[in-house]
Amino acid sequence: MDIVILLVVLVGSLGLSVIFGRYIARMIVYEKRPLEKTLGRIENGFYKIIGIDRYEQMTWKQYFLAIVVTNVIAAGFLMAVLLYQNNLPLSPRPGLSLDLAFNTAASFVTNTNLQHYAGEQQLSIFSQMVGLIFMMFVAPASGIAAAFAFIRGFIRKEFGLGNFYVDFTRIIITLLLPISFFSALLLLFLGAPQTLDSTITIGTLQGGSQTIPIGPVAALESIKELGSNGGGFFAANSSHPFENPTGISNVFECILMLVIPLSFPIAYGYLLGKGRGISILAAMLIGFGVMLALGLSEQSGPTGLETRFGSFGSTLFLESSVATNTGAANAALTGMSPNAVIGFFLGMFVQAIPGADGTGMMMMIIFVVLTLFLVGLMVGKTPEFMSMKINPRDVKLAAFVFLIHPALILIPSVMAYTTENAQNVLGEHTTPATFTQVLYEYSSASANNGSDYLGTSANTPFWNWSTAWIMLLGRYAPIGLMLAVAGSFTLRDRKEVVEPIKTSGFLFVGVLSVMVFILTALTFFPFLAMGPFSM
Amino acid sequence: MRTIKSKIFSPAIRIIVLMIITTGVAYPLLVTAVGQTVLPFQSNGSQVILNGKVVGSELISQSYNSSKFFQPRNDSASGVDPDITPDSAISQIPVINSATGIPANALKTLVDLDIARNRETNALVFAPDYVNVLNLNIELVKQYPEVYAHEISTKEVP
Repeated sequence: MDIVILLVVLVGSLGLSVIFGRYIARMIVYEKRPLEKTLGRIENGFYKIIGIDRYEQMTWKQYFLAIVVTNVIAAGFLMAVLLYQNNLPLSPRPGLSLDLAFNTAASFVTNTNLQHYAGEQQLSIFSQMVGLIFMMFVAPASGIAAAFAFIRGFIRKEFGLGNFYVDFTRIIITLLLPISFFSALLLLFLGAPQTLDSTITIGTLQGGSQTIPIGPVAALESIKELGSNGGGFFAANSSHPFENPTGISNVFECILMLVIPLSFPIAYGYLLGKGRGISILAAMLIGFGVMLALGLSEQSGPTGLETRFGSFGSTLFLESSVATNTGAANAALTGMSPNAVIGFFLGMFVQAIPGADGTGMMMMIIFVVLTLFLVGLMVGKTPEFMSMKINPRDVKLAAFVFLIHPALILIPSVMAYTTENAQNVLGEHTTPATFTQVLYEYSSASANNGSDYLGTSANTPFWNWSTAWIMLLGRYAPIGLMLAVAGSFTLRDRKEVVEPIKTSGFLFVGVLSVMVFILTALTFFPFLAMGPFSM
Repeated sequence: MRTIKSKIFSPAIRIIVLMIITTGVAYPLLVTAVGQTVLPFQSNGSQVILNGKVVGSELISQSYNSSKFFQPRNDSASGVDPDITPDSAISQIPVINSATGIPANALKTLVDLDIARNRETNALVFAPDYVNVLNLNIELVKQYPEVYAHEISTKEVP
């Protein structure tokens, strides 16, 4: 039975990613899509209102600036909604504190969805809907757009990185919105509610009454999983029966989380060589396979796990969620086995097996560049990627992208202890289990993952401000650096010669996987030894 | 060459306003409209009805203050887990048997029927076996109305 669930998730998500991978490839190079005329007409309407020329290209700096400016405006809007939700319609609640509102806005705009609040208690329906659902489209669309620009940098000389507003519009209107709509209807059919009321008061079997929080859950849930978001309508996230009612919804949500991240290597294969795409997909699946194997090697629960999912359904969902940096949870992390938690850390440290919508693919290409550089040193060849020489600047930028992540995790983890803020939340007595929770919080923030142990207990000014800045740096610094890499590649001459180090085939997949593992293990091993390895 | 203001900043504001309307308002309202029209049962929280009265949501656990009913678990990830494992249900049979006098094998049959029903809900393979506590208790009340007459009329529904 478990094997059937696993096969349906893997075959389902890979099958759909072949379809969506082709579609995404067409989006990247502006090829004709199905229903092109209709889609084109709708998009042109948007461009007219937005006031852009769809053919105007952006440099990498302009593209990055457009992402940042758009995200800042969206985050400002969300923050205002959260601060003043008491004055807004649809079952108003008291406005959030400044630090919590800032944390939440940073969390959702960076595609993280770390939640230091309890949604059903603290947010109005207006905030959940116009604030959060809206942001759940903006954040993944920004990440996917960045990946589009990044991949265009390698296609051919001066192909151009594209126009952010064109990509952003097309990604939302012709990719995320239609899939979310149909997925929301399917989740509704399976039992997720969808209403504008914030509670229902109904009778109980013994003649009493019960007040149950409710809302537009299905519409939120679908884009939450599809967009690598992960922020729950309820504090209990996808373990709440309204967010994830049955075993079937659990499997469907796993597929939703995996489909876009797995579509990217396939799109890449269409554009830059089938072998290369399949090799990257294979490296991603090997990493994900290791996470799954770790998670399934030990029984989790039953405490903290929902009965309808059991150990297998909870582990599969959580490993898929963390691997894609979605961060949704269908069980309490404290209920998961130590091996499963080590799998979560692996996913958050690598961020590319398969990683979040768009950014996971970008990160994997950074690992490819680093691998080519290191292997080039070993065999004494000048490293090349896509028939272009990799120069020292590219390697420096790639190394920066890699090193930002440990810095953003380890420095604040230590700070949380030296300033006693960790002890204030988790108790004076530090154990491997409590250290793991602190390390997890910042890993999750920096990886823009969003799963966490602390939840509402971290709603203190220190945790709110510190994780907010880590999420922002963990999002925009790597994207900026990666676009800089693409910006310089797009100007470079290509020599059509045999690659000195082949970027496809079994050998390359093996080397790449080992390299990803070694780089990650070397960086984080001491901290893992103090935390999850000692649990 | 257009200025940065007209190329970057003005479109940013306009695109955000447009997306707030499209994704934050139109999308959830459309799903709500379709849901409330086509799937009103699910849209409003899967409320189950017994004898013309709503007696709960089959997706949300409720508490029972009588040992004549099967009890939900009290630890759980979501805190509202409506289900228990078959083992947990079977271990409760002796208590219910002694409180109600309903034969143990009849209780076991009802548990098995609920498990079978949940298997169907999950297309046989997508979930481990489990028992939905509310549905099982409703079956008990339906099958043995005289045994539960007192328990289900202690208070009137407001």
